[in-house]
Amino acid sequence: MVRVFGAAVAFAILLTGAPVRAADMVIGLPAWPSAQVTAHIIAETLKDRYGLDAELQERGTMTLLAGVGRGEVQVHPEVWLPNLARQVDKLSNEDKVLKLNTAGVSATQNICATKATVEQTGVKAVADLLKPEIAAQFDSDGDGKGEIWIGAPTWSSTEIEKIRAHSYGYDKTMTLLEMPEDIAMAAVDAASSLGRPIVFYCYGPHHVFQLHDIVMLEEPAYDPARWTIVHRADSNDWLEQSNADTAWDASSFHVAYAASLSEQRPEVASFLSAIALNAKDITAMSYAVEVEDKPADVVAREWIAGNKDRIGEWTK
Amino acid sequence: MSGLMSKLAAGLRAAFTWGPAALVLTLAGVAMAQNVGTQIYDNTNRKWVDYTPQVAARYYRIHGQAPEEFQRQVVQFRTAEKPGTIIIDGDRHFLYLVLPNFQAIRYGIGVGREGFGWAGIVKVGRKQEWPTWTPPKEMIERDPDSAKWANGMPGGPDNPLGARALYIYEGNRDTIYRIHGTNQPWSIGLNISSGCIRMNNDDVTDLYSRVEIGAKVIVLMQGAALYKGV
Repeated sequence: MVRVFGAAVAFAILLTGAPVRAADMVIGLPAWPSAQVTAHIIAETLKDRYGLDAELQERGTMTLLAGVGRGEVQVHPEVWLPNLARQVDKLSNEDKVLKLNTAGVSATQNICATKATVEQTGVKAVADLLKPEIAAQFDSDGDGKGEIWIGAPTWSSTEIEKIRAHSYGYDKTMTLLEMPEDIAMAAVDAASSLGRPIVFYCYGPHHVFQLHDIVMLEEPAYDPARWTIVHRADSNDWLEQSNADTAWDASSFHVAYAASLSEQRPEVASFLSAIALNAKDITAMSYAVEVEDKPADVVAREWIAGNKDRIGEWTK
Repeated sequence: MSGLMSKLAAGLRAAFTWGPAALVLTLAGVAMAQNVGTQIYDNTNRKWVDYTPQVAARYYRIHGQAPEEFQRQVVQFRTAEKPGTIIIDGDRHFLYLVLPNFQAIRYGIGVGREGFGWAGIVKVGRKQEWPTWTPPKEMIERDPDSAKWANGMPGGPDNPLGARALYIYEGNRDTIYRIHGTNQPWSIGLNISSGCIRMNNDDVTDLYSRVEIGAKVIVLMQGAALYKGV
């Protein structure tokens, strides 16, 4: 049995002083479905193959990475690059407390629209959003500017999407919306049902690509010379100092784990470094949790049952 | 004019005029109220026509119901949300109840005269048949006739909350917003309520019978400017 600790439960235990046996390892449980299923797969495998008791802690990515730095968290199931490149670089190369699984899952980050949107509005490329006549077709509040969802407020990608909008210049023609993913996806569902135009930040693997006919808007290929990211936390003038007017660099996400495991539990470090999920796995996990409404731990157990050979390879 | 009105159907859009911005309620972000008017498409003359309270009242008087687009209907609705979830699109004046197999029941709604005023993820905290209506203080000051109901108007056909009410909660807190029926069925599709979601009595009774307490309610950004400045 894998224990899941939310912040409220942990806080209650702190208050009551109820005794809790320390788990062998702490695995982070971020707030999106594929990461949660992966966390459960890792926890179940640690139990089954190594007899280790894992505690799953629901935390945000930055908190989890800080926990790795303090030696309090041993695994983050899904660290995105290049979004967290700066933090990963510091923890891996400067502090030497973090290791990244090399077999990451290829991912995408784009500006998307439904196919009906493309047909109705003529928008094909991200740069089209600079055209007032295109942007106006996404206007839902009468101010002449269109609206575009750029991500949830806490996501590492959202800050970069702001930079991209500013660099392309469509922050002048479009209002940038930040809101929880559930609201944004429900808006896509409603727009799709009505055949109304909508544009939004999209990432994959993601079940939205199974639900709707989605088109990624065209943009120039990633050019590192045109990508300078200054984070908001580092400068008051971060937006003006940054530039990113091409597509995202090839994105990927990886299992990350505490470097100390290599010495303390080398067999576990070996397992974590060998995990090799793919986009098909991730999409199926996301779909099972979000669309089929299965609990993440159930999806994890089903995945393990259907992939014993792969688990066997990873735990050799 | 009645000929024109009988042809009104097959499409809706919102025409927007800015009203005074006012911070109404913060759920998922900063919420700003606004005025959002409705237009419906006149297929005969191939042009959008303002769907004003006068037009709506006339249409209802002639047809005994709201335009087709606002009538209850099952629509395709591909979503990751569970059956039983309510999704409110104040811009378009639609409320969706998610069904299995990627379908939803779409109901026409009326929303606040300054727009719905907020967006977020909330839930149905309570349900009530023929709810009592108590006019707010401001209304009593504005309309002395309403003072007689200061302690609550019993439920019934003349009650502004109509046949049923679903009380919207954020966590365990009543947001003061309701999805309710109406004694003005012609007002569906308009922005004239005090901020709640109004439905005709048949529709809200149908919704009431299908929705469980605790059901997730997603209120979409209305006129997306709800999130400006976040």
